[in-house]
Amino acid sequence: MMATIAMNDPFAQVPALGPERPVVWPARTHRKLANGLEIVLVESHTIPKFTGELYFRSGNASAVAQAPALAEITATVVRTGTEERSSRQIEEDLRRIGADIGTSAGADTSAIGFNGLVEFSLDLLKLVAELAQRASFRENEFERERRQMIEGLRIARTTPSFLANERMCRVLFGAHPYAIIAATESQVKEYRLAQLAEFYRAHYRPGNAVLIAVGDFAAPQMMEQIDRIFGSWKPAEVPGVPAVSLPRLRGRHVHLVHLAESVQTQVLVANHAITRKHPDWLRLALANSIYGGAFNSRLIMNIREQKGYTYSPRSSVHALRQYGYFTVNTAVRNDVVAATLTEIFYELDRMRSLAVAEDELSDARTYMSGVFSLGLATQDGLASQLSNVYLYDLPEDYVETLRQRVRALTAADVLAAARAYFDSANAQIIIVGDRRQIADQVGLFGQITEYDAEPN
Amino acid sequence: MNQLHIPLESTKLDNGLRVVISPDRTAPVATLGVYYNIGFRLEPRGRSGFAHLFEHMMFQGSEHAGKMMHIKLINSSGGVLNGSTHYDVTNYYESIPSNALERVLWLEADRMRALKVDDENLRNQRDVVKEEVRVNVLNQPYGGFPWLDLPPVAFRNWPNAHNFYGDFADLDAATLDDVQQFFYTYYSPSNAVLLMIGDVTPDEGFTLARRYFGSIPAGPPPPTADVSEASFEGLRRGEVEEKFGTLPAFAVGYRAPERRKPDWYALAMLDHALHGGRAGRVYRRLVLEQQIAVDTAGGIHYPVGDLFDYNGPTLLVSRVLHKPEYSSDQALEAYDAVIDAVCQQGIEQDELEQVKVKFRSEYVSSLEGGQGASIPRYGLMHYLACFTLFDNDPSLVNSILGGFLQVTREQVREAAQRYLDPKRRAIVFRQPTRTGVAA
Repeated sequence: MMATIAMNDPFAQVPALGPERPVVWPARTHRKLANGLEIVLVESHTIPKFTGELYFRSGNASAVAQAPALAEITATVVRTGTEERSSRQIEEDLRRIGADIGTSAGADTSAIGFNGLVEFSLDLLKLVAELAQRASFRENEFERERRQMIEGLRIARTTPSFLANERMCRVLFGAHPYAIIAATESQVKEYRLAQLAEFYRAHYRPGNAVLIAVGDFAAPQMMEQIDRIFGSWKPAEVPGVPAVSLPRLRGRHVHLVHLAESVQTQVLVANHAITRKHPDWLRLALANSIYGGAFNSRLIMNIREQKGYTYSPRSSVHALRQYGYFTVNTAVRNDVVAATLTEIFYELDRMRSLAVAEDELSDARTYMSGVFSLGLATQDGLASQLSNVYLYDLPEDYVETLRQRVRALTAADVLAAARAYFDSANAQIIIVGDRRQIADQVGLFGQITEYDAEPN
Repeated sequence: MNQLHIPLESTKLDNGLRVVISPDRTAPVATLGVYYNIGFRLEPRGRSGFAHLFEHMMFQGSEHAGKMMHIKLINSSGGVLNGSTHYDVTNYYESIPSNALERVLWLEADRMRALKVDDENLRNQRDVVKEEVRVNVLNQPYGGFPWLDLPPVAFRNWPNAHNFYGDFADLDAATLDDVQQFFYTYYSPSNAVLLMIGDVTPDEGFTLARRYFGSIPAGPPPPTADVSEASFEGLRRGEVEEKFGTLPAFAVGYRAPERRKPDWYALAMLDHALHGGRAGRVYRRLVLEQQIAVDTAGGIHYPVGDLFDYNGPTLLVSRVLHKPEYSSDQALEAYDAVIDAVCQQGIEQDELEQVKVKFRSEYVSSLEGGQGASIPRYGLMHYLACFTLFDNDPSLVNSILGGFLQVTREQVREAAQRYLDPKRRAIVFRQPTRTGVAA
């Protein structure tokens, strides 16, 4: 009788997961043109659009000998004019075909991103090709963008997350080009237009580029179109990035960036870690997910759901082409900075000392492989998964095999990764806040070096 | 091209819960949402910020899924989840591998049926919400600008004019009784819509919806509320101190028309001509040509909503950050010249044609996208929910484009004259307390 009632009550127990439906990655067309341009195409017919990026494997790290963040200002000015079109015409032509373009640069790459209606794909790709080959670098456009950059930097240097990130890269990367994520105002004032044009001439080259496009097209026709538009692009040797080793960081150290009148403190704990090509990458990614990557992770349950110190704690693994790093990031009220650091280290050390239980491990594996499959459903999702493969030189079957590799991971794998990379004894602690309110608290965790919002 | 063909099926359960399903087998994943027809506009007086605090409470436990279980069950099924509070709706959503569909419906139904939270949960989430407000508003340059600054200047009726994120004193005053009361008043099935998008068949979806939601009592309909707002008379001005940012800024708000009125379509095209990216007139003129401003943006129901997700008085907003060597008056004058030109001459025919193509393109993308790529088709879910709750017609998601694509130049000019009246608007200035040195 009781059993019958229980069965009729649909709420009596959590429904089991149904049988998994197969996750099938769409076929990919991958080809290299004679001039060295690598092309990756994937059909995705969800909406009548297409999206993609033309990436160059050169970013700010490639230009550090010339000027900091030179790739970034170059990318910004690239979109403001070509030999054929003025700035205004570019913007109106984009609107006419319902398209967007975004030019940007990070440490390792410069990119011309695009998305638009597939009915106008020819026009959009022609504009991308123009920007990639015949940007005009006009003086007046450059001067405007220089001032824009200065104003952007002034605001960024009042933004806690930016300040934390900027200081962290300096600490982790020392003399390596990755140390500099933004120029100072005086450095921006010293840029010369010829430096931008020179970076462009040297690095925006087909042999240094990969064009990824995902969308509602037929891949063979799209390939033909791209070949016609980009085939005549002249190749050239591209200078490499200097290899510089990283500083050896021993012992915990506190780097306190003073931001007067902060009503909250940004806390960032960081260690050197690994690149995506490293054999430990997935082990570390899974350990991160359990520690502080997922919503139901240990750190979030502890400092948010139990203690209410913060809204948005998160740990992450970051990979650049040469090096990677691990971060724990959160913003907390000023009177619980020491309490937060205590919990961050407690949870790190627990990951390092005790193996995770089988059910927690299994939940985390399912989470990681499940979330990965969400990327299949949209053009943007597919494009971003593919970017990782081609920008970080991962094996051709990387995305297709990822789920099964995640599922093979063990508690021993997680423990080994935590011991190797959650290096709590040598963690670098970056704090952004009002020193008068927090210096006493953070001094408990290591020797303090203080900074102003301006770097150096 | 004026009509989309997104497959849709919908039904209404006996208790009034509407269910909308849009099947798509591209990938074995689904996005699910429950939308309640209540947002921060209608939170109780003396309880500013309560609708959002309440949203947090919905993750704190229900009868069969206690605190932390909700989050754990979604994550351990391979899915992600969140919720958000808007002017007129509050949503709870998940993206999951489709084999977790039944489990997610069970969770959503359980918390619609029986929220089960205690004082400890309330204290905890009050602290979390305060840190949310600090990280998004109080400790950020231009935090809350202009979404928290404009309403109290522009509007007179409390529902439209109060602090939607919440004064801390009001958050502190909130009690568990308030939580239960709000739940019983607004979180009934007849005040909600359930959406399933992606790898789910309508048969399967409707069957499961009935199984888990069908037995929830309908509950009384929420009380009707007066959110009406007398039309603007005169210029309304406000000033807010900018503690961190280095540039002076201002935001302008004009009263926007009701959704789906003829003016609404025309004003949307005008808005795009003004605020549509770098080709938009405001950015082009102020940033690219005159170089008075450093950044501009704007839109109807901007920035915490868009054209489709409001159901009460709102604004067409422009936001301008300008260089410190220009006074607020000079910058405003330059902005006004742009507005004056569209009121006098309207926009060019070619410009209107461009705007229509771009609008169509962005609309399609917004249906597929959402929160990076982590919530596939969040936009489709969101618009379906609004069209269901506000218009009782989810199929508008397929037909609504037509109205925009038919707008004429003359209608745009008329809308400009009717709505962009420099004598009837609200302006808020953000003045930095520390300004960088001019370059």
